Formats: sequence, structure tokens, C-alpha cells
Amino acid sequence: MIPDLSIYLIILEKIFAFVGTGLYLIFAVVIVKQVSMMTKNVYDKFNAVVIVFSYIHLALAIFLMVMGMIWL
Amino acid sequence: MVRALDLDTVAPDDQIKSPPTPSLTKEGKNIILNNNVKLPNNQKNRSTTPKDMVDKNMAIFRQKVYDVLGHTSNPLSSFLVKPHVFKFREQDDAEEIILVMRPHWFTNVSWIIMTMFMLMVPTLVRFLPVWGGVPLRYQMLGILFWYMVTLAFALEKFLSWYFDVYIITDERVIDIEFRNLLDKKFSEAKISLIQDVASNVRGISQTMFNYGDVLIQTASAIPEICFEKVPNPDKVIKVLQMMRQEEEQEAIDGRVR
Repeated sequence: MIPDLSIYLIILEKIFAFVGTGLYLIFAVVIVKQVSMMTKNVYDKFNAVVIVFSYIHLALAIFLMVMGMIWL
Repeated sequence: MVRALDLDTVAPDDQIKSPPTPSLTKEGKNIILNNNVKLPNNQKNRSTTPKDMVDKNMAIFRQKVYDVLGHTSNPLSSFLVKPHVFKFREQDDAEEIILVMRPHWFTNVSWIIMTMFMLMVPTLVRFLPVWGGVPLRYQMLGILFWYMVTLAFALEKFLSWYFDVYIITDERVIDIEFRNLLDKKFSEAKISLIQDVASNVRGISQTMFNYGDVLIQTASAIPEICFEKVPNPDKVIKVLQMMRQEEEQEAIDGRVR
């Protein structure tokens, strides 16, 4: 008889959802911080795009965390 | 033996004849004080100072450096010659950026392929038998999370490449490294303190696409600066040699900043 692995997967996903999204949010904040610092050190044409992209990434990380809270 | 008390009476020093100082007339003084005096054209040409000649020679020399390097305008290029927009925080006002380098674009290929593979993973996971038993909302969140991880991976790799910058100015060489999000490094050495320069091109890809490491041995506090995987290492070495010659010439002329 094959054991039902779905229950374990669900538990695993819950752990991933809360811990993972939390860590991801911290990571996104670190990226924004680092990008803003590096763009002050090195000024190039493409810097504005990189800054905008880092903020979009942070917004997506917040969205992911909110979705995790709503869905689970 | 009795010594003379007054040596000047025994052996007087030779008198130094100072050149007669030209006495300025009232009219002459006014000409010097008044800067708006216009000289005739033939007199203007004759008044080329040695400093102007040196500046002209240096400009010709600098043009030779740019001739060796060629020209690029793409901001995402790995080899930016005399960039108009590029600046760095530690740059002096009079400092001119000759060359800005990043690792060769081919070094990005591995992580781009990896990112594409990661983007395909959610599609492949659907074929697993256990996937069907997972509730839809968990599936959705799992897939969303995976795509975000992929995005983070690609972003981190891109930023590591973009902010990993090597700069050659008319005064120094600078290495700004951004290895990952929590590890960054700034090191510099004056061109006059460079002792040896060597390049290292190894492997099929480096030989094919003409990129490699440039090792710079210095007499400064940082004994070695390495430009990793930069394009055209032979040109970089040539330019560094020329810049060293220029620095030596500046030292001879007494124009060291």
C-alpha cells in the first residue's frame, strides 16, 4: 500500500510558506539596501533601471508574503 | 699656527653680479597690470609657453591610448572606453576615467542557462504523481514562490556582474568588487606604483572570446590587484604600460598631482 504523501507535502509547504516568504522578504530588503548603496558608489547610465527593479522585487516579495497569509 | 679672525679679509668671496633689473616705466607697469591688452596675432603665436607644448604632447599621447582601446557606447558593455556618464564616489574632480571594465559577457551565460532551467521546473513538476494530490492553493503558492526564488537568483547574479567594476583612470587603477550581496571590496593603486602587469587567458571559452585575468603587482599597501575575466587583456596591458610611461613623464616634468 502506498502511503498518502499529500499530508506531508502540505505540512512542508506551510513551513516553506511562512519561513520562506519571511526570509525572502529580508533578502529583498537587503537587495534594495545594497543596490542603493552601490549606485552611490558607482554611477552609470543603467543605475536607475537597477534601482527600479530592486523596488519591484521588494514589492513582489511583500505580495508573496501577503498571498501566503491569505491562502494558508 | 695663528688663524685669521676675519676670513673675509684674507679670502673674500667672489661677488655675484646680479643681472640688471629692468626698470619699468609708468606706462609699462600699466600694460602689465591691465590684462585686457590685446597682443597682435604674430606676437600671440610666439608666446607659446613650454607648459602649452607639454599639454599638447600629453593630449597626443592620450589620444594614442584611446586609439589602442577603440570605442564603445553601450552602457551594459564590459569594456567602456572614456565613458561620459560613468562616475565613482572616490573620483577626484580632475581625474579622467580612461577605461571601465566588467567581467566578459560570456561569464553570464552559465547563470542565464540555469535561470531558464529553473523557469521550466514548475512545468516539469506537474508530471510528478504526488503533485496532483496537493490542493490547488498550495500549488499556486509553491509555483509563485519558486518563480520568486528564480528571480532572486537571476537578480543576485546580474548585480554581482553589474557592480563588479574595474576602472583605469589617468592616476590609478581601481577594483570595486561585489561578489555577492554581503561581500564587497574596494581596492586601488596609483599607476606610478605599478611594478609588473601580467595576463592570464586559459581554457577554450577565454581563448575563443578573448578574455582573461589581468594581474597587477604594485608597490602600494595592496600588493596585487586582479581584473578578473575582463575582455581584451592584451589591450589592457598595453594601456597600463602607456599610462605608466605617461606617469613617468609627468614625474620628470614635475607635474605629479
